[in-house]
Amino acid sequence: MKISYIRYCLSFLIVAFVASGCGKSFLELAPLSNSNVNNFFKTKADFNLAVNSAYSTLYTIYAPKGSMSFTGELMSDNTTVSILAISGSFTIVDQQAFSDYSIASTNTGAYNFWVDHYTSLYQPNIILQKLGEVDLGDVAYESMIEGEMRFLRALYYFNLVQLFGDVPLVTTPVQGSAAYDIGRSPKAEVYAQIINDLQFAGTNLPNPGSEPAKGRATKGAAKTLLGKVYLTMGDKSSAATILQEVYTAYNVNTYDLLPSFQSLWGNTTAFKNTKESIFEIQYLGGVGNPYNSLWTAFQPFENRVFLGQAGGMNMVTEDLYDEYEAGDARRDISFYTGYTKDGVFVPAKFNKKWVDLTAPLDGAQQAANNNFMILRYADLLLLLTEATDDAQYMNKVRARAGLPLFGTPGYPSAKYPTLELALEHERRMEFALEFQRWFDLKRTGRAVAVLSAKGKDVNQNKLLLPIPQYAIDQNPNLKPQNPGY
Amino acid sequence: MSYDQFKDRSFANVAQSLEGAIAGVNISTAQGAPGFGPTIKIRGTSSITAGTTPLYVVDGMALENFDLNLINPQDIQSVEILKDAASSAIYGSRGASGVILVTTKLGKAGKPSVNVTYEHGISKVTRKVDMMDAQQWIQYYIDAKNNSWIALDPVNNKATDDNATRTARSGSAARNYLIPPDFISDPGQFGAGTDWQDVMFRTAHTNNLLLSLSGGTDKTSYLFSAGYLDQDAVLIGNFYKRLSLRTNIRQKISDKVTAGLNLSFIGAHDRTDGTTGKSDVVSLGIQSDPIFPEYNENGNLGYLDPNSVWNRFTGYEVQLWNPHSLIDYADKLNKNYNTLANLYLEYQPIKDLTLKGTLNGNLNNINYSSYWTSGQGYGYSFVLPASGSVRNFTAFNWLSELIATYNKTIGDHNFGLVAGYSAQKQRYDSTSLNGSEYPNDLVKTINAAGVVTKGPWNGSSEWSLLSMLGRLSYGYKNKYFFNATIRRDGSSRFGPNSKWGLFPSASAAWVISDENFMQNQEFVNNLKLRVSYGKTGNNLIPNYGSVPLLGSSRYSNGTGALNGLGVISLGNSDLEWEKTDQYNIGIDLAMLNNRINITLDAYKSVTKDMLLNVPVPAYTGFVTQLTNIGSMQNVGAEFMISSKNIVSDFKWNTDFNISFNRNKVLKLGGNNAPIEIDEWGYFVTEVGQPLANYKGYIFDGVYNNQAQADASAHYAGAAPGDPIIRDVNNDGAITSADRTILGNSQPDFSAGIVNTVSYKGVEFSFMFQGVFGNEIWNQQTRFSKFWNASRNSYAISNDYWRSEQDPGNGQIFKPYAIYPATTQGKAAYIQGYSNYWMEDGTFVRLKNIRLSYTIPAKITARTPFRNARVYVNAENVYVWSDYVGFDPQNSTYSVGANTVAALPGQNGGNVSNPPGLMLGADYGAYPIPTTVTFGVKMDF
Repeated sequence: MKISYIRYCLSFLIVAFVASGCGKSFLELAPLSNSNVNNFFKTKADFNLAVNSAYSTLYTIYAPKGSMSFTGELMSDNTTVSILAISGSFTIVDQQAFSDYSIASTNTGAYNFWVDHYTSLYQPNIILQKLGEVDLGDVAYESMIEGEMRFLRALYYFNLVQLFGDVPLVTTPVQGSAAYDIGRSPKAEVYAQIINDLQFAGTNLPNPGSEPAKGRATKGAAKTLLGKVYLTMGDKSSAATILQEVYTAYNVNTYDLLPSFQSLWGNTTAFKNTKESIFEIQYLGGVGNPYNSLWTAFQPFENRVFLGQAGGMNMVTEDLYDEYEAGDARRDISFYTGYTKDGVFVPAKFNKKWVDLTAPLDGAQQAANNNFMILRYADLLLLLTEATDDAQYMNKVRARAGLPLFGTPGYPSAKYPTLELALEHERRMEFALEFQRWFDLKRTGRAVAVLSAKGKDVNQNKLLLPIPQYAIDQNPNLKPQNPGY
Repeated sequence: MSYDQFKDRSFANVAQSLEGAIAGVNISTAQGAPGFGPTIKIRGTSSITAGTTPLYVVDGMALENFDLNLINPQDIQSVEILKDAASSAIYGSRGASGVILVTTKLGKAGKPSVNVTYEHGISKVTRKVDMMDAQQWIQYYIDAKNNSWIALDPVNNKATDDNATRTARSGSAARNYLIPPDFISDPGQFGAGTDWQDVMFRTAHTNNLLLSLSGGTDKTSYLFSAGYLDQDAVLIGNFYKRLSLRTNIRQKISDKVTAGLNLSFIGAHDRTDGTTGKSDVVSLGIQSDPIFPEYNENGNLGYLDPNSVWNRFTGYEVQLWNPHSLIDYADKLNKNYNTLANLYLEYQPIKDLTLKGTLNGNLNNINYSSYWTSGQGYGYSFVLPASGSVRNFTAFNWLSELIATYNKTIGDHNFGLVAGYSAQKQRYDSTSLNGSEYPNDLVKTINAAGVVTKGPWNGSSEWSLLSMLGRLSYGYKNKYFFNATIRRDGSSRFGPNSKWGLFPSASAAWVISDENFMQNQEFVNNLKLRVSYGKTGNNLIPNYGSVPLLGSSRYSNGTGALNGLGVISLGNSDLEWEKTDQYNIGIDLAMLNNRINITLDAYKSVTKDMLLNVPVPAYTGFVTQLTNIGSMQNVGAEFMISSKNIVSDFKWNTDFNISFNRNKVLKLGGNNAPIEIDEWGYFVTEVGQPLANYKGYIFDGVYNNQAQADASAHYAGAAPGDPIIRDVNNDGAITSADRTILGNSQPDFSAGIVNTVSYKGVEFSFMFQGVFGNEIWNQQTRFSKFWNASRNSYAISNDYWRSEQDPGNGQIFKPYAIYPATTQGKAAYIQGYSNYWMEDGTFVRLKNIRLSYTIPAKITARTPFRNARVYVNAENVYVWSDYVGFDPQNSTYSVGANTVAALPGQNGGNVSNPPGLMLGADYGAYPIPTTVTFGVKMDF
């Protein structure tokens, strides 16, 4: 009996040991399937991964149903949205509101676009913060990364300030109660930050062609964007200077117009990162890849020819289609005029720029391979004309389109008597569906006149989106609301 | 609840037998598929983001998110539900949603007993959804197209315009206005059409065979049990098969030492379609147009067949998701294997002191595979290439515990002392793969796929918990009782600054009827007053919520994909469990010779530090941050009465229970910003209101003429036949500010009543269950109550406004196939969320009728049987409800543990749109069939 008594005691000790032998570390479990911030941002390899992630935010901002698409095209006279189904939180009405200027401060889209920009801005901001905390032992690398992140930050703030006016200016990550002390910074301060960032980027980024990978920001991209920023601020002379700098430094050998407008648009690598490209979002076709969904989204909703479902976004207006001059090659390169369904031709004008007829299906989405250019050489040329009032740059673009030059007899000067009007026309034709039109009209101060003439219920106030009511409810320091809302 | 109370209720899941039977415990079967676990809520909802499933403790093994299907009801001795905090506080950080204790059986000393049970069940969908037939739908179709056609150009367009005219005038949008010529020239050819519910549902049979052997000596007791359930679902092609094996052994090794092992294995194979809502077969079947036949003349399924005469409809807007295309043309199998083992050793070194050490392990493996044949027999809305998927999920969980119990009686004083220590750890591993580009349909496993991509939920995750617990109890003269417990929990889920929590409770009871002043009466047999307080926690938060995580987001260089990693969550090093303080006062009363037993309880619980994905300003880089900040209150009362109405050879008992719970949100995150979920409904949680109110416009019928519309506050474009929207804020205009609180899924009260009569060997009982004063958010409204792209609609929608002279029932507005651009503004209001989407959830259900007959002992004595019983049991016999869908308890959002769908939360991270906030919303749920079971039980 004595022996078994000891044996039972021993058994108990074993059980007790299993129970308690684990100690303190028993409760310290690190995630098994996610890396966490505590062991990241230490090496160049870490930063390379983080930088890719920061660039991937471009997918959100320039998504077919994202901020720039809804404002740049739908708020202009270029496109309409046509969806039939009762849709989710970004409702039909909230979508339609962009088209007819009935955006309420509670509009889901306005809120989404606000959130998209700020959550995207977090990535460059956290990288810049972490970059300041480590020494990677490679100054050139560090300043290149800093330049790229400041370029992205400038791009997003430039969007924000155009969309919302005065906005909270956050350049380092904020958290907790500090976040509620933040208010809106005046436009001037936001622009100052943008210029500061772009000047740094323009100095520290690599020259076009020397960037570590296609799609990464370069000196050329930073300076072209800076030129556009100056123009938007109304500073033509600074714009002219910086744009000229790009024009001279990178002319012909680095940047140039492609001989034909058609060769800008295609679904293979040959159409990507051409000489005309200044800053371009990189997509990769195929299921499981970061593919382009413009092709799916910009098809008529009830199409069912190219694929099962389509987005109905940015259906081309007759007004846009009709503005093309006779003989303008760009019209038929830019748009389909219909599709054939069950042997019947159904007329519908929609995107033909980003077409990928061989894209594999990822569910109902076509995993398209086309890239998207945010800045391209034609833009630089047209901005140059805008900054310098010299038509020669614009005429290069017209020449490529196969059209009579401005100032020559064949030019439709009855319709576009001034250089300003000629530019307005030219930009609309060249950049149709490229998210430029509404920003162009705003920049030139022509938005209200042009859009109300086309029956849009627009006034100066409505050229800014409302600060989302939800954001104001969260932090009343964001008051006052933009006028008119 | 002991075995006797659910023995004849033929369910795979014991919890379903308890529906409606216990006050304060709301068990509801949201979907009627076999094996689909019910949602269990104890005393209201105490959490928003964290899980609200109770903790299951099976023979001492604590299991989170456990699926009770994994225990054979036959093996269960008792189920105990701990609802008040004083009893659940001993489960500490996991007790806040209540605790369900399951104890399995053990044999008794004496002759071995062999039990054989065989059941045969028949199930049928008896409450179908009333849809339009082909003739009604064709008229609806024609009117919807014509209404839109005229709205497009009221001056020039006429209902009589032919398709050629319509195409010529409307261009790319023509498809919205075209009407198949057959609909006009010869609609009669379609007859009543196909009722797709008759295609989908069948009378299903179930066989259930149970064997058990139990017995023991003075030293050993044992149970061996086996069960095989073979259940066909009412949905064609669907089934649930379960093999369960168990052995429980307890051996007294010496006077002081006892050891035992409970070991169970469950293997369940099922195919279950139709439970994932709108894109699943039940919902799609109902939406399919009735004009199409079940099979076309080629034996294929639909009009997309290019060689079929039905192919003429491809040019028009029609909808067909033939149920066969989703079932017969798909291979799906879900396999769930669970092994649960409890080993224990009890040692009594001195009298009154027991030490118990246990070691428990649970291994759960779920494997799901599916393959969808290419083309789908032309029966789906598109002709899609083949696709397949595989998911694997393994969870291993162990618990080791050491408990010392000391009981001592000195004179009138009883003391009890418990102290314990436990450690538990769980690891999950999951893999999921999707396959596409199959060369043909010959090999259906994922290896045949040309392209394999990773699906959602890959990876591994762990949690661990260390606990210390103690209990002190004291009784004096069996009249005064006092009980106090304390538990200290440390969890890996909590942040580094808040690893440990303390959970105390105290309770007292006074048996008033034993006092001297109560001795001289005979009316009251027992009167007991109870009060208690307890603090419990809820630790069902993401495993790594405290750590800022990185997530993959890829970019490209135009020719290849580039890996990227970005910060995806803010983390929170102060993250901790939610705390609930609950106060309870109760009375137990027995009177009239114990023929009437009454239990009355009132409680108040306040949850603090409620875990919320608190909305934070977007310029922090995130929209939400997981924070312990909210607070919520539940106040309620429960009343149960059990009455022996007649006691003699003929017995009649009545058990009645009713419970009330009022839920109120006290505090939310940053500036108390409301939590808004917009998911085919507008579910708003705000301070001062119950959780997740439905918000929207109020429809007050339909405008019968333009003058009526013009005279009232209206939205732009309001025309005859459009809904009247109430100007809630009385500002003379209809705007989004007129949206208001419409209702809530939480009932005013729920009740259940069981009557049992017995005479000699015959026992008959029936049970009613009711839920009152709640509302259902019918998300299916967007498909079946509105005109939605030519889907079939509820028959009630047929009563729509046709003209001033023929306004229908005045509640259903006229259909538009499409709102042309000029009228899209009003579409926002008409199609926006409103009380049109909401329905009364009140129902009364004849839940159960049971008749059994025990063969008299006189007869059985002459047979090898010691005992034999036959019984008939009918479940879900009839429902009184106005709900237009299958069942008022239907919800597509459940918080019950269920197959692989429950995985994302368990893997940490995904806590957006907690389903707990959308309970009561129906997005095409599976009907709950009526089931009649015949059974025979024999003991040898």
